[in-house]
Amino acid sequence: MQCFESGGAEDPDGLYAGGIAFPLLQALQKVNERLLKENPAESLLFDVILITTESQQQQQNSRITESIRHHGLKVSRFCFSNEEDFIENLLNNNVHLFLTTNRNEALQGSQKGVLSVLLDEHTASCPTEQLRVLFCGDAVVQSEAGSALASKQAAQSFSTQLGKMRGRFGPFDSPISIALVTSRGGRESCGDALRTLRSLGVNADEAYCLAGAPRGPIKRLLQPHFLLSECLSSN
Amino acid sequence: MVKMSLEPVQVMSGQVAELPKVAPSSNGDSGGSWEGKREFDKDHLGLTAKPKPPKPENAVTVAVSSRVLFRTEREQKVFEQKGVEEYLRYQIEHENEPFAPGPAFPFVKALEAVNARLRELYPQSEELFDIVLVTYNHAHVGIRLINTINHHNLFIERFCMTGGSSPIGYLKAWQTNLYLSADANKVREALTEGIAAATMFMPEKMTEVSKSQLRVAFDGDAVLFSDESERIFKAHGLDKFFEHEKENEDRLLDHGPLKGFLEALGKLQKKFYAKGQRLDCPIRTYLVTARSAASSGIRALKTLRAWGLEIDEALFLAGAPKGPMLEKIRPHIYFDDQMFHVEGAAEMGTIAAHVPYGIAQKHNSKHNTSAGK
Repeated sequence: MQCFESGGAEDPDGLYAGGIAFPLLQALQKVNERLLKENPAESLLFDVILITTESQQQQQNSRITESIRHHGLKVSRFCFSNEEDFIENLLNNNVHLFLTTNRNEALQGSQKGVLSVLLDEHTASCPTEQLRVLFCGDAVVQSEAGSALASKQAAQSFSTQLGKMRGRFGPFDSPISIALVTSRGGRESCGDALRTLRSLGVNADEAYCLAGAPRGPIKRLLQPHFLLSECLSSN
Repeated sequence: MVKMSLEPVQVMSGQVAELPKVAPSSNGDSGGSWEGKREFDKDHLGLTAKPKPPKPENAVTVAVSSRVLFRTEREQKVFEQKGVEEYLRYQIEHENEPFAPGPAFPFVKALEAVNARLRELYPQSEELFDIVLVTYNHAHVGIRLINTINHHNLFIERFCMTGGSSPIGYLKAWQTNLYLSADANKVREALTEGIAAATMFMPEKMTEVSKSQLRVAFDGDAVLFSDESERIFKAHGLDKFFEHEKENEDRLLDHGPLKGFLEALGKLQKKFYAKGQRLDCPIRTYLVTARSAASSGIRALKTLRAWGLEIDEALFLAGAPKGPMLEKIRPHIYFDDQMFHVEGAAEMGTIAAHVPYGIAQKHNSKHNTSAGK
């Protein structure tokens, strides 16, 4: 499974400081470690690719690679691209999940059918020992022009892979935790979402049916690294 | 005359009888009601009013664990004897078999009956009971719970399936007014966080309770009030206790863990009084205390009055056993801090809940139900 990350913040010492996605990367690594522990011949692993389109950062490519090494992160590839081509890059590299803090990039990725997820500052304070993914059952999907379908398929396929990975571990002490939240609908819509996930091969660990109660406190408690909603949308 | 749409429940009519062993009604044909059905926003379509759940800050939120709302003994046994994987498999296999009602079921049904009356009188108000289902189960076996809620026609639209982690954070986020669970440890955790909570047990028999009037009974010390007086009694005996209470008659008792819940009930009662329904109020509260009316009970009453709380009936037993009195009252739930009283009540068919708070816990009985998941 391949994920792209983009961006990174600068630090006066010349190394890049831990960006927002650090806990996420650490969690992804943890999953890989545990997968290999269960089965040293495991092939379904996370493969992380770092992409940056900022020319300033590109000029400092050695700094990026140094920083990555310094922080003990495992990135399999670095990709320096310009803004026009980076989507091509995503597609050529068969990326299953694109993570970024840049809304524009996320939209562009979505439009081309790449599952694109926007990270925010909350990701920075997520746990590092467990990957926490939150499915939003009845979020309003902003299908910007066009390829909602392609994006949905990408979401479904990623989810199935994630479900498979989750299945390699038992109910407790898993390095992946999958949660579902339905915000507005009642128990039926949550039940439907659980069944949809199940049909994709995803067995949710946690489910919260809010039926109109505020989402903020729940999200704060769940501490997801990122959110997925397309595969459960009703288009 | 108020119309209640209450589904007939497995509660005996007439005499007290043994509850049948768990025989979950097999789903059969009614399976179609939830399979593959999309939930429409019924209000939007102008179809049958499925009322919208109230906002947590407006409602009296009662969180109920799946193990007290329903009977899950068989599944518990599978978990304990065969382990978690087998348990999960079993649950999924029996997904379309609804659970039978548990000890909190009549209480929840009564809450819904009150809601129906409140909605009639105040159609726009969100000051209602909101029932939230809480379970430590993993979500993918939660479908059975949803099916069961559907089967029993309960109005529960909010739930919390934590996959093993503590639900306390969520209970706080939902501003829970009362948490009922089968697990004493979780109840204690809630109490520590300031949430009114009590442990419920499946009694051998459950006497029939009213379908139209919610009756909630409370012990006094260490439930509504703090355990300060009980400490005196335990340390120095009955005489010292009386002396202390007489001396401090005009000093208010400190509040106990269930005071807030009584307060919430009182607020809802006042809404009925405001519409001239004091005599026909569908909520009735009781104080059932070992204190005696002539002496130590006075301090309790003065405290309640100073708090601005009304209690409908105060029963001062002066040490007499509580069981027979409770059997007459037939509350939907009775809160006591002492297992001795909880057990005594249960023996006579009263649904009693243990509040593990205060000094009495150090002296508690043989029955330590901390059998968790």
